[in-house]
Amino acid sequence: MANPVNERARLLSNDPVGPRLYLMRLETPIIAKTTRPGQFVHLQIPAADAHILRRPFCVYARDAEAGTIDVLYQVVGEGTRLLAKATPAVVDATGGMSVLGPLGNSWAAVDEAQSGSGLHVLLVGGGVGAAPLYLLAEDLIDAGCAVDVVLGAQTEDALVTRERFAALLGREPACATDDGSYGRPGFCTTLSQEALDAGCSVDGAPFDRVCVCGPDPLMKIVAAQAHEAHVPCEVSTERRMACGIGACLSCVVETTDGLKRSCADGPIFDAEKVVW
Amino acid sequence: MAENTDSRAHIRETSVSLAVNLGGLPMKNPVTDASGTFAAGREFSAFVDVAELGAVTTKGVSLNGWQGNAAPRIAETPSGMLNSIGLQNPGVAHLMADELPWLKSQGATAIVNVSGHSFDEYVQVIEALEDADAVGAYEVNISCPNVDEGGMTIGTDPASVQKVVGACRRATKRPLIVKLTPNVTDVAEIARAAVSAGADALSLINTVLGMAVDAERRRPQLARVVGGLSGPCVKPIALRQVWEVHNAVDVPLLGMGGISSGIDAIEFMLCGATAVAVGTANFVCPTATVDVANGIIDYCERQGVSDVAELIGGLQC
Repeated sequence: MANPVNERARLLSNDPVGPRLYLMRLETPIIAKTTRPGQFVHLQIPAADAHILRRPFCVYARDAEAGTIDVLYQVVGEGTRLLAKATPAVVDATGGMSVLGPLGNSWAAVDEAQSGSGLHVLLVGGGVGAAPLYLLAEDLIDAGCAVDVVLGAQTEDALVTRERFAALLGREPACATDDGSYGRPGFCTTLSQEALDAGCSVDGAPFDRVCVCGPDPLMKIVAAQAHEAHVPCEVSTERRMACGIGACLSCVVETTDGLKRSCADGPIFDAEKVVW
Repeated sequence: MAENTDSRAHIRETSVSLAVNLGGLPMKNPVTDASGTFAAGREFSAFVDVAELGAVTTKGVSLNGWQGNAAPRIAETPSGMLNSIGLQNPGVAHLMADELPWLKSQGATAIVNVSGHSFDEYVQVIEALEDADAVGAYEVNISCPNVDEGGMTIGTDPASVQKVVGACRRATKRPLIVKLTPNVTDVAEIARAAVSAGADALSLINTVLGMAVDAERRRPQLARVVGGLSGPCVKPIALRQVWEVHNAVDVPLLGMGGISSGIDAIEFMLCGATAVAVGTANFVCPTATVDVANGIIDYCERQGVSDVAELIGGLQC
């Protein structure tokens, strides 16, 4: 894993893309080159001095050549509300945005895919949790894996990663919406169970691995489905963080090996080890 | 701007004399970190060279380790944060086997923060550490408001303070720093008790007890309901207490509480601090310790101060 750096990033865009959802593009040449799937950046909210803590976001997409990363985020509190108001002009005027990264570990599936070949991987993303799976899908496909994607969101207009996944896969990801406005009505856990039962859509082979990111209840259900199907499963955890680099012990995750740090030991964990 | 990236930050060269002595601990400059915000430095080594700091103060260590508190353990508050980590640590044997050798290999000066749930535990931790050669000083945490037993009760009662500090004093000849809690009516009285029992230096302030509430959910923000407030919002409280203690005792002080710039550090030194600790600012920026040291140099050069020690207690009232 590359050493983390603190880059003064230019904000290139920061636009609403769905209900409470924003897509931000940052110019971070080093982080864009070194980020591995599943890793995150720790951002200082611009022009908001009273909000002293950074906010962690997984990297959605990276363009090493252009030196940019994309972050998809949801407004959930005061910090993200202020972040959504940030404009390129304001960030330029304050000398750039402090971005720490890349932080955290990566999916073991990537190493496994790169050392072997022909893995069948099922990716399950709930809500804004779909974003960190995009980079993973890219690397898995590059490594010759067959990748199926299941996405869940509350409504059709919250399925903001669907088109990117469709372009990458060359086919539509399986989608579910809580209100039935797009794809299967209800939770995407029905679709993940069906996928595990049916095998990979490319060749019908059983999946070798499941990777899931989303709310804890979703990850818990998919982890149980994968366990039942005897498929190794990894989950991407999200906790309140302060330092983001493993020092403060704020973001602990309870595991069968004791308390682990989401920021430094994770955010990716073997689902079998997480105590839900 | 795109090329403007920070790698490791360094304390710059200066003709200003930065060395201070904290109760028998020589420090090459007045800057250390506040215990619990820096682990034992290794996590920050991609950003700063820990050997450049006046000292590295390690996270509080107990005899056999503690599990810490339930999550959520932190909450952001205006210009600050609350924490109730609960002194999660793997115990003194781990510190001696892992962190202290690493600090020694880096050439860092170590202040080991010692915690306990009983008077005996403090002494046992120190006795274990007496076998390690990489300890520059002890900082005895009599004030952590996060644990159910110990901390809070000991640090708020002069008789208990005298008892625990006396026991630690008998266990070591190394410099003994006692870390005071701000959650008392008269911090000077506690300071005098610690010094009378043999403290070589005092550090203050620990976090201020506080609370944050989620009105929509009608629940506390922290799993443990109350926690310790830190960050820029506590600086005025910290300055006031450093000033009061400076006027009450004759031992050197390690000042902390909301320091995030060189000017903040200078304010503490003017109020009587010999050295300063950077805490929550490490979470804001991982180069904060070095940034503060460079800010101290800037101030001294601008003001024509040739020796930083001239500033200690230099407040003109």
